[in-house]
Amino acid sequence: MDLSRRRFLQAAVLTAATAGATAACGGGSGPGGGKDSKNLALWYWSGGLSDKVVADAKKHFSGVSLKTSVVGGDFKTKLLTGLRAAQSAPDITGVKGEDIASFLPNADRFIDLRTVGADRLVPQYLSWKLKQATTQDGKLIGFPIDIGPCATFYREDLFAQAGLPTDPAKVSAELSTWDDYFKAGVELHKAVPKTFLVNNIGSVFSMIIGQGTQRFIDENNRFIGDQDHIRTAWTTAVKPYTLGIDAKINDNTWNAAISNGALGTEIGAAWHALDISNAAPGTKGNWRVANLPGGPSNLGGSFLAIPATSGNPEEAFKIISWILSPENQARGFTDAALFPTAPAAYKLPALTGGDPFFGGQKTIEIFGPAAEKIPSAYEAPADAAVSAPFFSELTSIEAKGKDPDEAWKDAVAQAKQIAERQGVK
Amino acid sequence: MPPTPVTGPASTGPASGPGTGHARHAGRPAQDRPRGGPGGGSGRHGRRIRPVSAGSRPGPRRRVARHWPQYLAISPYYLIFTVFMLFPVLYTVYLAFQKWDGIGDMHYVGFQQFRFLWDDPIFWLSVRNTLVIWVLSTVPMLCLALVLAVLVNSTKRLTAFYRVALFIPSITSLVAIAIFFGAVFSNNFGLINAILRSVHMSAVPWMSNEWTIKLVIATLMTWQWTGYNAIIYLAGLQAIPSEVYEAARMDGAGPARIFFSITIPLLRPIILFTVVVSTVTGLQSFTEPQVLFGSEAATNPNSGGPGQAGLTTLLYFYHQAFDNNDFGYGAAIVWAFFLLILLIVLVNWRLVQRKERRP
Amino acid sequence: MNGINRKRVRGLSVHVILMLGVVISVFPFYWIVVMATNTSQDIYSYPPKLWFGGNLLTNIQHLFDKMDFFGSLFNTVVVAVCTTVLVLFFDSLAAFAFAKYDFPGKKFFFGVLLSMYLLPTQLAIIPQYEIMVRLGWLGTLKALVVPAAANAFGIFWMRQYTTTSVPDELLDAARIEGAGFFRLYWHVVLPCVRPALAFLGIYTFIAAWNDYILPLVMLVNPDRLTLQVALAQLYAGHSTDYSMVMSGVLLSVIPLVLVFTFFARGFIADATKGALR
Repeated sequence: MDLSRRRFLQAAVLTAATAGATAACGGGSGPGGGKDSKNLALWYWSGGLSDKVVADAKKHFSGVSLKTSVVGGDFKTKLLTGLRAAQSAPDITGVKGEDIASFLPNADRFIDLRTVGADRLVPQYLSWKLKQATTQDGKLIGFPIDIGPCATFYREDLFAQAGLPTDPAKVSAELSTWDDYFKAGVELHKAVPKTFLVNNIGSVFSMIIGQGTQRFIDENNRFIGDQDHIRTAWTTAVKPYTLGIDAKINDNTWNAAISNGALGTEIGAAWHALDISNAAPGTKGNWRVANLPGGPSNLGGSFLAIPATSGNPEEAFKIISWILSPENQARGFTDAALFPTAPAAYKLPALTGGDPFFGGQKTIEIFGPAAEKIPSAYEAPADAAVSAPFFSELTSIEAKGKDPDEAWKDAVAQAKQIAERQGVK
Repeated sequence: MPPTPVTGPASTGPASGPGTGHARHAGRPAQDRPRGGPGGGSGRHGRRIRPVSAGSRPGPRRRVARHWPQYLAISPYYLIFTVFMLFPVLYTVYLAFQKWDGIGDMHYVGFQQFRFLWDDPIFWLSVRNTLVIWVLSTVPMLCLALVLAVLVNSTKRLTAFYRVALFIPSITSLVAIAIFFGAVFSNNFGLINAILRSVHMSAVPWMSNEWTIKLVIATLMTWQWTGYNAIIYLAGLQAIPSEVYEAARMDGAGPARIFFSITIPLLRPIILFTVVVSTVTGLQSFTEPQVLFGSEAATNPNSGGPGQAGLTTLLYFYHQAFDNNDFGYGAAIVWAFFLLILLIVLVNWRLVQRKERRP
Repeated sequence: MNGINRKRVRGLSVHVILMLGVVISVFPFYWIVVMATNTSQDIYSYPPKLWFGGNLLTNIQHLFDKMDFFGSLFNTVVVAVCTTVLVLFFDSLAAFAFAKYDFPGKKFFFGVLLSMYLLPTQLAIIPQYEIMVRLGWLGTLKALVVPAAANAFGIFWMRQYTTTSVPDELLDAARIEGAGFFRLYWHVVLPCVRPALAFLGIYTFIAAWNDYILPLVMLVNPDRLTLQVALAQLYAGHSTDYSMVMSGVLLSVIPLVLVFTFFARGFIADATKGALR
């Protein structure tokens, strides 16, 4: 327990030296002042891009050193804080689909991609997706990585046990409405008691919202979250809970539930296939994909953007357009279940082939048509913040058995308040 | 937690160990007040010498000038403190009257943020959550700690071992422990449910029920701080002279009577100290729910889990400030909450004072 | 005879209860090792495996694929060591001035120190964050070390110790030989307060090592994180692979627990010894 002065002094000097060295390294590795930096930093989240394509991009662009970081936690929060200071901001960054709208008011924090060569590429990509990243005065701040056409993922083996249809075309036809889907869920749960239909009712709610042409705030910046389209979505979403086919999973235990057969179906976007195959490698071959009840919906689907502080925007966009070329998007689909945003990719073998995880099913037959028919809805910058109470209140129903009507009233009241705080009329 | 002056030992892990130290060095732990309260303790420590050279009384300016080494010695702290603590705290007050998204311009909005706060059911929910978790953790924590301390004090063997083993949880990283508790109390797997299953009870969905979520968080805090508080109590117990016990025993008092009429009263200042520290620490719970419900899969991040049952006020603050970028509202939340903590501590304080005055 | 037996039984039951407490205290460490050495599928299965498995190296391999463990470890060590050294130096110096001198404004300054105890970190964190942006420190380790270097508790603790443990006679004797404030500090005070410094040092080091909210906000750069933040993000992002995450928990907890148990006896004795005086 004794700390001699000499040792204290030694430690101090050593620390100062270490700190100095670290600071020096830190200073050196930051992007230079110019716009032709050879060191570019790319941020994305786990599963946000195909790691293989990213690795190839590093080789392909030998003239620059591309440093990639997989950011965990809340990506948007990290990005927003990162954007505040030039030395911490990345040169290329992923932006999640649900966050892109909230970045539009601060479009000047990003490079307008049309100024660095996006113009000639734009016709090759889905226009409704590009629109999500376009400001009202026509600046394009993000280039689409993927879209999230939604479908029903279901366990063929469990459906068979319950005497339900197992063939994707038949499932699509017979479970075409939400009520049909829930009815099947009741039968499934009766036949296989440990199996539930949906992981939580929030996921049903977000699917139904995605099927509509209006969200929580309209183009005139008015709050419409208390209107019929949301109310109907809410009422439908609560049904699985009342029917007792809701697994009520709102935390990390989803992984265990999906691998031990507690979930008979998952409704989600194309990229959700990767979550399932990662969490439950043991269920390979048992899953199939069918149409989403109630029509096509989109969930998520992200972008690559270039922060205004980027050390070399021109080169950064070259890298983006290479990573997101139709060929590389097709690889991204195989590798990371990222559904391409360039329709040219839909005809490539990577997409038209069968997927062994889904028993060899050609999933493009489900996702392809869904992708083309996705309804387009205006998403206001404050949309995510305003919709949050609806999801929280749905979890309240699940966690404390709160009365759904009361939960609805509370959700609307909270949403209105958030809308007011966020400057929505 | 950072050893910044603000949090002090309270929110910092093993901190307050030495906090009681000042009491002990004063030789009279019994009369020390828990630090941190208004004006607590300052100026009661006599015995300071005057510099030898102090002869005739010089004028005030020269007195200041002559003490330059002392001012220099304390300057690093006050410099850093002013820049990184005092100014920010005051600036947070200013921010609470603005609307600001962190990137764009600030707009003065008067008391609007506080009006929002008053009408915000989620803020009040978070306050309730915080208080419930605090009670659920502090009460068993301090009771158990007292029992453990008395037991360790009653034996001569293995005491060093007990101390180390009991102390270890308090130096363990909260993040690591939160992850561990998340795995052990998992709904679909996890040791606790496996044990329940092995005795033919049905599994409990710990992480999706309003009350069990709070219980898990409170258990985590209890696990982490019971041993630490026991060590503090042990210090207090050992300061009680053994003659006191012997005298009581000679008067024919049994162990229970000795415990309630001698041990507890003599220990009261230390108990009060631990109550205040646990209050300040317990009310500031943030990391536990943040890590436990930090899954990316959740529709909205940092909402405190199902039913927002684990949403503590500081987590709500973090969510508003750093997820929604509503920095003005965040500032209002954290200030309102600070005043609440202050109120609770002051109430504690008054209770203490009154009791101490009684013979 | 009977009395002795009863006494023995009571003594034994005390140890049984205490051992139960010890088991609860250390059980998580055992269980972390169990989870870190088995596969995730073992963790999900029922009945769970109760003993160590042979999968530790694979888990650690996966861990290193997913996170820059040694980078985070290095950052954590740098932050903890720098913070500790600064705190020890600043606080012992200030404590000496407060303990042994009267100077105008002393009461005011000390009062400020005390009133700082109650403020939660979060009260200052938004502006702190803004300051770091302006200084260009955001995302650097400086943003963690410098604010933490002002430690009111440390001054308080050192002042107590200095007041009682540095004999005035010694100071007077040195003064007569012409030693000034800083020489007194270096040659008389420092040698006397070593035990207190050691305690404060370990305490500060542990607190800095375990700190979470400040790095969470300040370390925006994903490849320059401290262990705690990296671990929390690993959990949030890769909760599919519990055994991998647990191996990370294990590796991050081990160094501190080892260091602590090495110093523990002195550390805890220090925390409790004073009471006996």
